[in-house]
Amino acid sequence: MDDRVDPTRIAEPDATVVTGAAGWFGRAFLDRLTDPAGDDRRRGPLRALVHRDDEALAIDGLDGVEPVVGDVARPRSLTPLFDGLGGAVDVIHAAGVIHPARTDEFVETNDRGTANVLAAARAAGVRRLVHVSSNSPFGTNTHPTDRFRNDEPYHPYLGYGRSKLRAELHVAAAVDEGMNAVIVRPPWFYGPFQPARQTTFFTMVRTGRFPIIGDGRQRRSMVYVDNLVDGVIAAELTPTPPGRAWWIADARPYPITEIVETVGAALAAEGFDVRPNRLRLPAVAGRLAERVDALVQRTGRYVAPLHVVGELGSTIACDISVATAELGYRPRVELAEGMGRSIRWCREQGLEL
Amino acid sequence: MTRHRTDVLVVGSGAGGATTACVLAEAGLEVLVVEEGPYVAQGDVVPFSLEQMQRQYRSGGVTAAIGFPSIAYTEGRCAGGGTEVNSGLYRRPPEETLDRWRREHAIDDFDTGELYDICDEVEKELSVQLVPGAATPASEVLRRGAAGLGWRHDEIPRWMEYPDGGAAEQGRRRSMTETYLPRAAAAGARLLTDTRVERLARGGRRARRAEITTADGQRGSIDFDHVVVCAGAIQTPALLQRSGLRGRIGTSLAVHPTVKLAARFDQRVNIPDDVPVQQVKEFAPDLSFGGSASRPGLVALALSDDWRRFGSAVTDWEQMAVYYAAITSQGRGRVVALPRLRDPLVTYRLTTRDRALLGRGLARLALVMLEAGATDVYPCYRGAPVVRQRADLATLQATFATSKASVMTVHLCSTVPFGGRDSRSAADSVGVVRGTDNVRVNDASLLPDAPGVNPQATVMAIAIRNARRFAAERRHG
Repeated sequence: MDDRVDPTRIAEPDATVVTGAAGWFGRAFLDRLTDPAGDDRRRGPLRALVHRDDEALAIDGLDGVEPVVGDVARPRSLTPLFDGLGGAVDVIHAAGVIHPARTDEFVETNDRGTANVLAAARAAGVRRLVHVSSNSPFGTNTHPTDRFRNDEPYHPYLGYGRSKLRAELHVAAAVDEGMNAVIVRPPWFYGPFQPARQTTFFTMVRTGRFPIIGDGRQRRSMVYVDNLVDGVIAAELTPTPPGRAWWIADARPYPITEIVETVGAALAAEGFDVRPNRLRLPAVAGRLAERVDALVQRTGRYVAPLHVVGELGSTIACDISVATAELGYRPRVELAEGMGRSIRWCREQGLEL
Repeated sequence: MTRHRTDVLVVGSGAGGATTACVLAEAGLEVLVVEEGPYVAQGDVVPFSLEQMQRQYRSGGVTAAIGFPSIAYTEGRCAGGGTEVNSGLYRRPPEETLDRWRREHAIDDFDTGELYDICDEVEKELSVQLVPGAATPASEVLRRGAAGLGWRHDEIPRWMEYPDGGAAEQGRRRSMTETYLPRAAAAGARLLTDTRVERLARGGRRARRAEITTADGQRGSIDFDHVVVCAGAIQTPALLQRSGLRGRIGTSLAVHPTVKLAARFDQRVNIPDDVPVQQVKEFAPDLSFGGSASRPGLVALALSDDWRRFGSAVTDWEQMAVYYAAITSQGRGRVVALPRLRDPLVTYRLTTRDRALLGRGLARLALVMLEAGATDVYPCYRGAPVVRQRADLATLQATFATSKASVMTVHLCSTVPFGGRDSRSAADSVGVVRGTDNVRVNDASLLPDAPGVNPQATVMAIAIRNARRFAAERRHG
C-alpha cells in the first residue's frame, strides 16, 4: 500500500499564461485546463501564446482561452501576454523548437526566447514560472541500466541540447535574482495532439520498418502527454523552493524492443495490419548517425531522421522518484494504454497511419 | 647459496599469504613464508608518505600498465602486503557477487554462509569497525555532498583500533603484521623477508623447489612438498609463468579503474595522515566515489595533469582533498612475464562503455563536490576546466577523454581465476593450479572478476576457506 502523503497544493492562479500553446504539450495542457468536467479547470483567463493566426483560430473556441499571436524570439510581441492581468499570474513556458529547419532556430527560440519570456514574466511580477525543459541537456546514459538521477551533470546532446541547457541556465540566473521559477524535464512524448512526425513513427512500426539499433535493450524514458500535464500542474501548484527541477516521465523506462512491440500490439488492437519488425541496424549505425548529425549541425543545417536514428542507439532513462516525493507526481497512464489512446486520437483526426 | 626446506612454502605475506600461513601453521603444518619486501612495523613510517611509498610499495609506488590509455597501478611490497599501506577499508563480498561467481564459474562447494562465518572471524581478528569519534573533514565532504543530492552513501568500516571515542585519524591499523602474521609465527611459521622467489622448479605435475634471491643479491633455494603462491594479482601469474605454467594464467586481469579530482573548499579539509571512510554508493556497483590519500605531494600529483594552469592551487593544499570515481570495468587485461625482465608486462584495455562511465563518473563526483560547497574542482586530466558551477560540468564532459587522464587502479584481481569451467578457470575450486598437483594460488588472483567493492575482505575469506580445505586434506591424506 502506498502510504505517502502528497504535498499540499496552493490555489490556482487568477490568470495563467502559456507559451507554445499550439504545440503538442501546449494543446494537451489547454485541453485539460478548459475541460469543464475536470478537476483542473481554470476559472481565470488563459493567455495562450501562439505563432500564427491559424493556430490562434484553432484554440480560440476553447473556453476562457485568449490567444495572443507572437514569438518568444521577439520580446516586444510578449507584452500583450501580460496586459491587464491582475492578481496571481502563473506562467507555463512551453515554447520551443525541437526539429527545426536550421539550427539557428534553437538559439533564437529555445535559448534567447526563454530569456525573453523570463524577463517579461519578471517585469509582470508573476507568482511562479514553470519552464518545460528536456532530457537533452543531459545527453545519454552510459549503459542500459543507468538512470539519470534528479540532479545530474550537464552533457548536452548537440544543438537542441545546448539550447535547452542555456535555457535552464537562464532560469537558474532568474532564480538567483529572486524569481520564483522551477523546471520540469520531460523525455520523449507520446499521446494526443501529436505532430505529423509522430504519425510517421506509427507508420514505421506498422510497416515493420522501425529501426532497432543494436540489441534493442537500450531503454527510453517516455512520457504520455497527459502524465506530463499532471506533472506541470504539480510543479506549478506545489509550494517548493524556487530553482528546483524534476524529471516528469512514465513510471519506468522502456526497452526499445518493448516500445516497438507495444505499439505494434496497440495498432493491431485497433484493427491495423501490422507487419513484423525486421529493420535492425548494428550499434555502429547509431554512433555513425550521431557523428554525421553533429557534422551537419555544425553547418547550421538540421536533418530530423539523422537526429532520431543517432539518439535511438542510446539509453535515455530517468528516475522520477524525486518528483513523486516532492510533488506527489504519479504517472497515471503507461505505454500500452497511452499508445492505444494516441492511435485512436489519430483516427479521430482522420490521420493516415 | 642458502638452502631451506619446508613442508609448505607460502609465497607472499599479504591478505592472502598471511591468512594462509596462519591457518596452515595452526593446523600443525610446517610453514615458511617468503616475502620479497622488507618488514616494516606499523607506526615505523608515516601513513601515505613518500617514505612509505619507497619502502613498502613496489617500484616506489607506481607502475603502469600498457594500453589505451595506460593505467597506473600500485602494489604493496612488504611484510603484510597491501594491508599495511592501503586505506584499510573493509567490505564483505556482496551476496550477488558470490552467487554469480558460483554459477558462472562453477565453483564447487562455495557456500555464502561459510564465507560470511569466516568474515565474522576476520572482522573480530582485525577489529573491523566504524570510526567511534569524528570523521575527517574530507570524509564529511562526501557525506554532505551525497546527502544534499539524495544519493546513497555510507561509511565503510576499517581494520583499525581507536582509543575510546577516537577520531578517524587516531586509528591504528590492524594489518597483517599486527594480526595473522604474528599468529602464524606463534604457531611455528617462519617468515623470510627481503627474499624474492624467481621461479618454481617442476617435474611433471609437481613443483619441488623454489629458486630465490635475497635483496642483497644472494641466491638460494627452498625445497618443499607444497607451495601456495600469494604474491598478488600481478606477481602471482608472473611467477607461475616463469615456472613454465601458462594456459589461462594471466589472461584475464580485472581491475577497478579510477579517475580523480582535487577539490578546494573555503575551510580546512585536509588531514594528511588519513583518508575518508565515506563512499558514495548511489550508482554501485557500476560506479563508486571515495576519498584518496591527500598529503601535499599527492595533492600536487593530482594537479599535475594540467600543472601550468592548476599548479598554483597547491599552496592551498590544506583546503584541498583528492577524491576518486571508480568503475566496475568490462575490459580485461593481461600479465605476461618476459625473459630476463624482473617485472611482467601488464596490459589493460578499457571498453567504450568503460571510457564513457569514467567520464560520467568524474562529472557526477564533481557534482558531489559542488553540492558539498567546493569553490573550485580540478579534474585530473589534461585540458580540464576548473569546475566552479554546474554549467562547467558540461565543459568537463565535453572535454574529458580517458586518453588525457591519469587512469589509476589499486584493486587488481582475476589473473588465476578459480572454478570448474574448463574454458575460463585457471585453478580448481580450492585454488590448485590446473596441470599441477601441489601448486596452489590463494590471493586476489583467484577472484573471478573485480567484485565492485574493496576486495581484501573477499580475498581473506576465500584464502581462509581454501587453506582450511587444504589443511583438512593433509590431515586425512
